[in-house]
Amino acid sequence: MFHVFIKELVELLRDKKTLFFIIALPLIIFPVLFGLMGAVVANVAIDEKKKVLNYAIVNGNEAPKFAEDLLYHRDFKKHDIELSGEAEIKAAIKNGEVDVVIEVSKEHLSVVNNNEQDQWKVYFNNSSQINSVRQKVNAVFDKYLASIRADKLANYGLDEQSYKVLKSPVKLKTVDTADERENFGEQVGGLLPYLLIVLCLTGAMYPAIDIGAGEKERGTLETLLLTPVSRLSIVLGKYLTIMTTGIVTALITVLSLVFWSFIIGEIAGIEVVKKVMSTVSGLDLALILLMLIPVSSIFAALLLAISIYARSFKEAQNYMGPVSMLGFFPVIVAMLPGVQLNWTWSLVPISNVALAIKEILKGTIDYVMLVSILGSTTVFAVISIVFCVHWFNKETVLFR
Amino acid sequence: MIEIKNISKSFKLSKEAKKQKKLEKSDVRQQGTHFQALSDVTFSCGKGEVLGLLGPNGAGKTTTLRILASALKPDSGAILINDENIIENPQIAKKKIGFLSTKTGLYNRLTSLENIQYFARMHGMSKSEIAEYGEGLYQQLGIEPYLHRRVDTLSSGMLQKVSIARAVIHQPDVIIFDEPTTGLDIMATEAILEFIQSQRDLGRPVIFSTHHLDEVSLLADRLAIINDGRTCFTGSVDALKLKTQEEDLRKAFMQSLSFSEEA
Repeated sequence: MFHVFIKELVELLRDKKTLFFIIALPLIIFPVLFGLMGAVVANVAIDEKKKVLNYAIVNGNEAPKFAEDLLYHRDFKKHDIELSGEAEIKAAIKNGEVDVVIEVSKEHLSVVNNNEQDQWKVYFNNSSQINSVRQKVNAVFDKYLASIRADKLANYGLDEQSYKVLKSPVKLKTVDTADERENFGEQVGGLLPYLLIVLCLTGAMYPAIDIGAGEKERGTLETLLLTPVSRLSIVLGKYLTIMTTGIVTALITVLSLVFWSFIIGEIAGIEVVKKVMSTVSGLDLALILLMLIPVSSIFAALLLAISIYARSFKEAQNYMGPVSMLGFFPVIVAMLPGVQLNWTWSLVPISNVALAIKEILKGTIDYVMLVSILGSTTVFAVISIVFCVHWFNKETVLFR
Repeated sequence: MIEIKNISKSFKLSKEAKKQKKLEKSDVRQQGTHFQALSDVTFSCGKGEVLGLLGPNGAGKTTTLRILASALKPDSGAILINDENIIENPQIAKKKIGFLSTKTGLYNRLTSLENIQYFARMHGMSKSEIAEYGEGLYQQLGIEPYLHRRVDTLSSGMLQKVSIARAVIHQPDVIIFDEPTTGLDIMATEAILEFIQSQRDLGRPVIFSTHHLDEVSLLADRLAIINDGRTCFTGSVDALKLKTQEEDLRKAFMQSLSFSEEA
């Protein structure tokens, strides 16, 4: 088993594709891609913030103060255009003539004077993910509302403070008993296991295909099976190799994330990143790594069994899509709101590990439950290995 | 000595194979959902003897050799190496047989030496044993200059020689080569034929399958001809010529395929 394991590792380390997937991708390419994505999004957000909105106002004479505030606001540029009716307004926005149209009600002044509630309309294209139109219009609108409110309050002999008391005589203040770490764990804890578990699967996929179906296709498997080493030893050697690559991929990615987060936190002085970094201890990382072992073990056995069943490298690749779903689904289930780690969930493979990692990050893990998680996952992994050995003994599978 | 007695082997047909076999309606070996690859194969190869295994494509040569090497289990029959039935204990076969398949079976990303050492270790050899026996073997096959080169940089002749070293590094009692010279140039072929002769001189039984009748004339002490999964002739080249009344080995071989039972 040891000879098989060492040989497989040496071969994989000499393979450029494997090195790319295990080392280059998580260490350099992922951070560069995420960095580029972040830079692009940040630039778009900055551009959007700086953008001067072309606006048109309908019935502006009914709200002269508001119209004046807009006219002199640096974020807005008035576009003199006659618009009547919703269809025309929508067409003007669609054609790009204006970015936003504010339609003041026709009898705004009299409605306000009669102490009735009025309604205006704001037209803009809200389909863009990064859109500051609403925010910018609200800023001017809130100022206008405050001025009307102040006039009204003065009429009743009230000031702003009295208004606040009238509006909500009792304020309900929320005191969050969850500490910073728990909140962080709840927010990030769903995403991190997803990333780690998926990496364990994807990192193991290529080596599994290569040392199973690939070896079958190249004819080396037949030669290997003619040596007096037991099938169990061969399976275990290959299985350990796949498991190792899965864990190493996840580990390198975590280290890469920690490293780049640290660099970004230090250089950019981002407090959030620094806080996040300080909440995760070495013990937490060790526990998370421990949790990845049984998950990788299940994936390794499953992938090897499928890879051995396949006639060729290409056929094995075709099978990997549905297998990926088998790996992703339990993690997605664990991310659903309300799904918490309990004794029942601790028995569900993969989901239990995703939930446990979340609890570890929150600092609320019940250590006794870890035994149940490791136990159930080990049982599942052993069943997968037995299945794998069974297939290694089947002529119909080996010589398909 | 290795004796093969009444070996039979059938395979369950896959859907694709069934379709293919339906197209080839003439194949009498298809029996329902199964394909009778071998129905009665019998021959033997004594100490210091070279046996040439002949037969047309699809006759069952590779299946026979795979069974001898214990890669496949026969449905019935016996294989005896020095009177020990290896079907009951395939581990013995794996230790006693050196098998070279039609594919070189080498790991491309390892060097020639690493490949040989890996298989030697899988046969339980120690480092010193590998070094001791390997030295002479590498010299004999002329693979010393490229022992430290990665296999994916070698020519087909070099690959086959390394593959032979890999197959016999554990000093097997019986050597089985499946079409060892296919696709090789004259120089490489010559070296491999010389190696087979040297193994005969060492007293090892050598079974090799081939389509090259000139190699058979040159090397084989005896022949076993298989057709449609049955042995249709065993004996020396001269015996075959005598039986078929043909001086030309090619013609004698063609005629032997019509023999219903072993002579």
